[in-house]
Amino acid sequence: MTYNRRARIWSLVAEQAAIRGGRVSAADACVAAVAAVEVTGAWLLAASGAESGHLMRVTDEVSELTAELQLTLGEGPGPDAAASGGPVLASDMGEPEAGYRWPVFAPAARLAGAAAIFAFPLQVGAIRTGVMGLYRARTGPLSTFQLGDALLFADTATLLLLDAQDQTASGVAESAGSTGSGPGGQTAELTRHRAEIDQATGMLTEQLGVGIAEAFIRLRAYAYAHDRRLSDLARDIVARRLWLHPDPDPRKEEEEQA
Amino acid sequence: MDGALLSDTFVELTDTMVAGFDMIDFLHVLTNRSVQLLDVSAAGLLLADPRGELRVVAASSEAARLLELFQIQSDQGPCLDCFRSGRPVQSADLAAEAQRWPRFAPVAREAGFAAVQALPMRLREQVIGALNLFRAHPGPYDPADIRVGQALADVATISLLQERSMRHNDTLNEQLQTALNSRVIIEQAKGKLAERLGLDMDQAFNLLRDYARTSNRRLSDLAQAFVDGTDTLTSLTAGTSQPRLGGDGHPRRPAARPRL
Repeated sequence: MTYNRRARIWSLVAEQAAIRGGRVSAADACVAAVAAVEVTGAWLLAASGAESGHLMRVTDEVSELTAELQLTLGEGPGPDAAASGGPVLASDMGEPEAGYRWPVFAPAARLAGAAAIFAFPLQVGAIRTGVMGLYRARTGPLSTFQLGDALLFADTATLLLLDAQDQTASGVAESAGSTGSGPGGQTAELTRHRAEIDQATGMLTEQLGVGIAEAFIRLRAYAYAHDRRLSDLARDIVARRLWLHPDPDPRKEEEEQA
Repeated sequence: MDGALLSDTFVELTDTMVAGFDMIDFLHVLTNRSVQLLDVSAAGLLLADPRGELRVVAASSEAARLLELFQIQSDQGPCLDCFRSGRPVQSADLAAEAQRWPRFAPVAREAGFAAVQALPMRLREQVIGALNLFRAHPGPYDPADIRVGQALADVATISLLQERSMRHNDTLNEQLQTALNSRVIIEQAKGKLAERLGLDMDQAFNLLRDYARTSNRRLSDLAQAFVDGTDTLTSLTAGTSQPRLGGDGHPRRPAARPRL
């Protein structure tokens, strides 16, 4: 059931890329989310590490204004989502709680036309790639199903942003919507076999001498290049049956097997 | 049953309004106290993710955590039945459940469990998850234990769903997703520390947890700082350039590695 749900999200994102006539990117996830989650508009902020980030995509004027206000003021659901690592679901920007929390931004957002704002951190643990924001011109919460879809769009956007950071993974992005070791399959594995994949990613920071985002990219690229399931590969690394090590040529991965 | 511990536990399980509330810690209280208070060997807890999946959020032991994961992966088992029906599910003897749970029952027995009781985490019509109580020996559960277990699950559910605002479901979902991301950060930090010091994952986790406790920091904050390199945990990692032998039975990284 869930697998079909993920596949549906991936195909919506791929469809959006086809309409645009480009390769699948995180911006397509942002645009496709608007219709699927039934919101008025969306924006995508790409930000790695501590930098404030840059606006990668806005779907209309209100979303642009809302996103820029948050960047300028440093307050709002977006910055809070980035800081907490969880979504911030503000279904009524006019309620007192929103006013206490974001004294400057909340009234400004309402004036701009955003009555409800839902911000999703694009993170994999300590890996930070940005924030996806959705807004509605009318107040009201997302249904559980809409929230689930929004989270899946955010998962998708996160992986696509990571892939865009490193060309070793460019092949991964191209296979969007596939059912094998490509991202469609990998996102499902990422929730079901979470722990081993995360542990292996942490181990690779040491083995490869790279940051956590790069380690995750290398893990996924290796799985893709060797047509292996991400979870199986991770299990081998955690069990110390397989080591990756730094290679000056990123396209020529080397590995050792015990 | 330890009456003082029981009343302390109820206090702990209603204490969700504090600043810096950590959902994972809270749910670990539920699983760990279940084991201390009831005649059970291990406890595991699944919560529903809005993505349409169940997620393992707490377990009193690694064996229980793996068994919960296995139920999700194999789409079968008492915790899933309990979550889907919203009703308690019991098996007094897993040896006799080959037909009911052909995949789950043998794996549970292999992990050392002979009986299981699953209790819903439910408020009115809304089922948010399920608590699994595993026991090493077969036989029916004491009805008093089941009542107390259900009461613990109920109190935890009400605490999680209580109206801090008009949007209690939003709050629960925000906290759940934050907790899941914290969990990922901790696993990443375990991997990094395990690789640096030549430890297995349990040893790495214990080191991180103890360090967080003694330095009075939240485990997820410490893990984040370690993974992104802003805290090198010098006192943990200094003077340990020689890998130690781990207790996990896995071979250590060989000094001279054969090239393929």
